[in-house]
Amino acid sequence: MTVDLAHYLAVSGIIFGIGVAIALSKRNVVAVLMGIELMLNASNLAFLAFSRFSGAFQDGTEPLAGHTFVVFVLTVAAAEAAVALAMAVLIYRRRETVDLDRISVLRW
Amino acid sequence: MTDLLGNDLNLQYELLGPEIALVITAALVLFADAFRRELKIGQSAIPAISILGLVVALLLSLLWIDENKDFARLVTIDNFTTFFRVLFIAVTVVVIIGSHEYIERRVSHLGEFYSLLLLSTVGAMLMAGARDLLTAYLAIEVMSFSLYILVSLAKSDTRSGEASLKYVLLGGVASAMLLYGLSFLYGVGGSTQYTEIAAALSDGTSTLELPLLLGLALIIAGLGFKASAVPFHMWTPDAYEGAPIPITAYLSATSKAATFALLLRWFAGPLLPAIDSWQWMISVLAVLTMVIGNLVALQQSNIKRLLAYSSIGQVGFMLMAIVTISDQTGSALLLHLSGYIITNLAVFMGVIAFYNRTGREEIVAFRGLAQTNPYLALVITAGLFSLAGMPLLAGFLTKFILFQSVVSGGYTWLVVTALLASTVSLYYYLQVIRQMYMYQPEGDASRWRLSPTGYLATGAMLVGVVWVGVYAAPFYTAADRAIAPLFT
Repeated sequence: MTVDLAHYLAVSGIIFGIGVAIALSKRNVVAVLMGIELMLNASNLAFLAFSRFSGAFQDGTEPLAGHTFVVFVLTVAAAEAAVALAMAVLIYRRRETVDLDRISVLRW
Repeated sequence: MTDLLGNDLNLQYELLGPEIALVITAALVLFADAFRRELKIGQSAIPAISILGLVVALLLSLLWIDENKDFARLVTIDNFTTFFRVLFIAVTVVVIIGSHEYIERRVSHLGEFYSLLLLSTVGAMLMAGARDLLTAYLAIEVMSFSLYILVSLAKSDTRSGEASLKYVLLGGVASAMLLYGLSFLYGVGGSTQYTEIAAALSDGTSTLELPLLLGLALIIAGLGFKASAVPFHMWTPDAYEGAPIPITAYLSATSKAATFALLLRWFAGPLLPAIDSWQWMISVLAVLTMVIGNLVALQQSNIKRLLAYSSIGQVGFMLMAIVTISDQTGSALLLHLSGYIITNLAVFMGVIAFYNRTGREEIVAFRGLAQTNPYLALVITAGLFSLAGMPLLAGFLTKFILFQSVVSGGYTWLVVTALLASTVSLYYYLQVIRQMYMYQPEGDASRWRLSPTGYLATGAMLVGVVWVGVYAAPFYTAADRAIAPLFT
């Protein structure tokens, strides 16, 4: 059996699903962030798979746009984690908790 | 220079002049703030440097009127980009002038505040200009990350950090969804270039129907979040309430307009061949947004939350133009967007001036404003009436043209819903106006004046609201010329 595009996409879909589930169900800020990281990495996998298995790649004319995308997404993910963790620290200093259910001054 | 495939790359850096000028200004501002004591400059030098940089960027962007060039196949410089560059720079200038007093008193970290404001403007400008998915994605993140931090900068307000945390987490989920959608779009289109995706999609690749549909749904969810369309609007009222008011004004103007610039570029360009797959999604979103936004606004007691829900309602009207996308609705959307921004800034500048004086933001706090400061009451009333769509003010004309273009696009039922929602909105705008004119002031009833910068910002916006309402021809021509490059 050869591993082809569909297998990669299936794995990426599963990872994305797990990421969404974690991001939406966990109440701890750090856990939510981990869910978001999983979602971003699932996208990375999909980008790489689409880039590797495109017809142009076999001909050697693929400009590797998908590969380039992944490098930038990794950087963005790191920046995002930095910003979100800084916010978590800011909140923790004032309230001594990072539980989203207890951070609830704002309510519609 | 050529790229891997032998395409010629145009590396004229002057094309990116405005962005480069703003990034340099942002760095200068940070530097000036850090070494303020050594350089012996006052606090007000920092906004002055920012405004200077913005004016330079404005002049540099006016150089490219009626050009149609691209930078290294990544950014397009055409009238559409120029239109949004000018719009975003103008918004930032107004926000900086109008909130000068507020920021000095109630925002911590002045240098960071102004430099992040400039950087998010750069991100917004690149969102309007991008012609490659990667550029667009990075531009979105540059704008959003700056905004996440800006929301948290209100001094000694516990709501600020909380609002920012919610914004950053929900924003992260939304942009991850957008990114996953982009990966499918890349898989289906085989490229990250807008033009090549459009070509690939119009070939009729029916075997890839499912990934395309999935990708579209994820992209619309991600962008719906950025535009705060229902059901992805949950962050909006919280972020609007917790943020410093100038940032709330900025969120409601630039971040919204940049998202619509991107929506126009994508749905009139690479995604236009797939119109049958996304048209119904956007129309469902539009109906939900205008109905729920306007209904929930009815029960708000905080002016920032009220304006948050009213802006959600307005997004619903604007989404109608994406459903029936054409050069006619596109130019109507640009016109409505600029009218809405001027109007919204008028209201927000008024609210900032009011908050500087009273430190309160509940709607009941506006009681008797017509007696204590008739001028400010007039500005806020004009803004709210314009949002509701009263004749002779900006909101009426731009809304009328927008609705008319959607009707001629064949979506009469959408416009009927919009008209009903618009009627509902009149009620909650009038509630605020009633507080100002029908009640006696509570407590101190003496007259008070605005600061000079407050007069400048509110006066300019008041003139703008009336000007667009009475004589919109220049704006109409500008919108027409801006939308033309998208439909050739």
